[in-house]
Amino acid sequence: MNSKKIILLAFVLVALVQIYIPAKIILNRAIVLSSGKEFKFKTAPIDPNDPFRGKYITLNFNENTIEIQNKENWVRGETVFLLLVTDNNGFAKIKSVSKAKPFDSQDFLKAKINYVIHDGSKVSIEYPFDRFYMEESKAYDAELTYRRTLPDTSQVPYALVNIKNGESVLKDVMINGISIREIVKQEQQNRK
Amino acid sequence: MSIPKDISELVRAAVISQDTADKISDYYRSRGRHSSNRLFIVFGIFGAILVGLGIILLVAHNWDDLSRTTKLFFAFLPLLTGQILCGFVLIKKQDSIAWRESATVFLFLSVGACISLVTQIYNIPGDLSSFLLTWMLLCLPLVYIMQSSIASLLYLTGITYYAGEISYGFYETSESYLYWLLLLAVLPYYYLLYRKKPESNFMIFHNWLIPLSVIITLGTVAKDAGELMYIAYFSLFGLLYLIGNSTFFKHQRLRNNGYKILGSLGTVVLLLILSFDWFWYDLRNKDLHFNEVITSPEFFASVIISLLGLGIFYFQQKNKSPKAIEPIALVSLLFIITFIIGLSSLISVVLINLFVFTIGILTILDGAKNEHLGILNYGLLIIVALAICRFFDTDLSFVIRGILFVSVGIGFFVTNYWMIKKRKTNE
Repeated sequence: MNSKKIILLAFVLVALVQIYIPAKIILNRAIVLSSGKEFKFKTAPIDPNDPFRGKYITLNFNENTIEIQNKENWVRGETVFLLLVTDNNGFAKIKSVSKAKPFDSQDFLKAKINYVIHDGSKVSIEYPFDRFYMEESKAYDAELTYRRTLPDTSQVPYALVNIKNGESVLKDVMINGISIREIVKQEQQNRK
Repeated sequence: MSIPKDISELVRAAVISQDTADKISDYYRSRGRHSSNRLFIVFGIFGAILVGLGIILLVAHNWDDLSRTTKLFFAFLPLLTGQILCGFVLIKKQDSIAWRESATVFLFLSVGACISLVTQIYNIPGDLSSFLLTWMLLCLPLVYIMQSSIASLLYLTGITYYAGEISYGFYETSESYLYWLLLLAVLPYYYLLYRKKPESNFMIFHNWLIPLSVIITLGTVAKDAGELMYIAYFSLFGLLYLIGNSTFFKHQRLRNNGYKILGSLGTVVLLLILSFDWFWYDLRNKDLHFNEVITSPEFFASVIISLLGLGIFYFQQKNKSPKAIEPIALVSLLFIITFIIGLSSLISVVLINLFVFTIGILTILDGAKNEHLGILNYGLLIIVALAICRFFDTDLSFVIRGILFVSVGIGFFVTNYWMIKKRKTNE
């Protein structure tokens, strides 16, 4: 009987961990969403898929390579901190990269080094929000919509991201201030 | 043919007594109950797998119209249901395999569904491999707590997928060494299964899945000294074959012995690949620096597996005559020598062809001795495969190739005819 109790206790612990891990993920994101600062990153969406989690659009960010003044030893996959500023048009720009965590009062983002260019004078950044999950019928259309807007330079696609203490949550992908979900939905209705 | 009818007929004809007839009926009745129980297990597990996978697919649709809170509710609903089911099983139904396995499968899959839904809702990055890793780690304890074989099999599949995803994808970002720790974590369960139910179907599934998983993942070790992987793989197949030849497996049916079949097939296939000379030309032209080689992961893998194989080989052969040595087990050792010779000379190609030929002949003899048509034809197939490989070697003359093919073909007819005839006379 005693061993049964131990097993049951162990099971309850495991069950709690199984709930705790996703709940913790949710909580971390919810905080960033509720009290983080909003940024817009210019992007180019394309659509692949994941066998378990379905369709998403991959975001390729325009602002993804940075010149480095001090040639430190940058390693691929390493975590770095990007100091962010907003340019005149309201889009996020990377001011500088550092290995050390900036002060909390500054706007910064935790990201990874994708690859180092040449002698280490430039690095390419992998943003922690490069996937935007969409309903399976909409993901491909979203990519088409984006491609159609390409020649029109006034139409700017961008990712709407909340950032707090380096942590980020991707909220939406927009073209000219309208959610790509809404645009695709409109187009699909117009076609009917 | 119905058994009760036959029994009453046999009783009437006074072939068996009424007492024996009752015993036979009792035996079949108890066996019938056993098999219906097994059917229940199978249906339970399949049902749970289908429902669980269905939930994952529904989740993958990414419902845009549902609010975030609604989606979160649906993320946790299957998870909590699975947990409650498993808790119920632990308290009330612990002895029912069908309940235990089905509930665990359901919980296992709903953990995956829950994580994927949460990552979708918040557009959390992280590729497939990190998702799989979190999922498998959260479900590993279920194997032991629920004593669930299906959980263990799903876990094995999951970690293999993880290792493959992380190393074979075009984005080779990180190493898959973690796989070996993950594999180690489930081996105690395998041992428990071996102690408690060595004859069960679940054990047989493990006997296939574990070597298969290791074979798939070993390749992820490869980096710059890829040629050495051939040694690692030969040693691995030799090792698997030796395990399949241990006393525990020897008395089981061949088709239940994944180790022996995979070990033997793997060795033969590798030998056939290396029986072409291109590999050996490349090997001679490649600059392998001693210092780089002995620090490469391929070298460590080869050494570790070879030592393990040698250890098992020593214990198995300790009390046997040298005649009892299995040729396939020996190939992995001979290959190391052949490989070293191959660094400076092309004679290795000839040696490899000789090995395949010898294994083929010895397998045929083995099949003939044990009157096993399957083994006999396997041996013949090895020879045929060798002949086909040589068919494509353009530097052999047509006449020699012709003679080779005709003689192998005649060999097929003669041996099979002889074997079938021998069986008939025995009957």
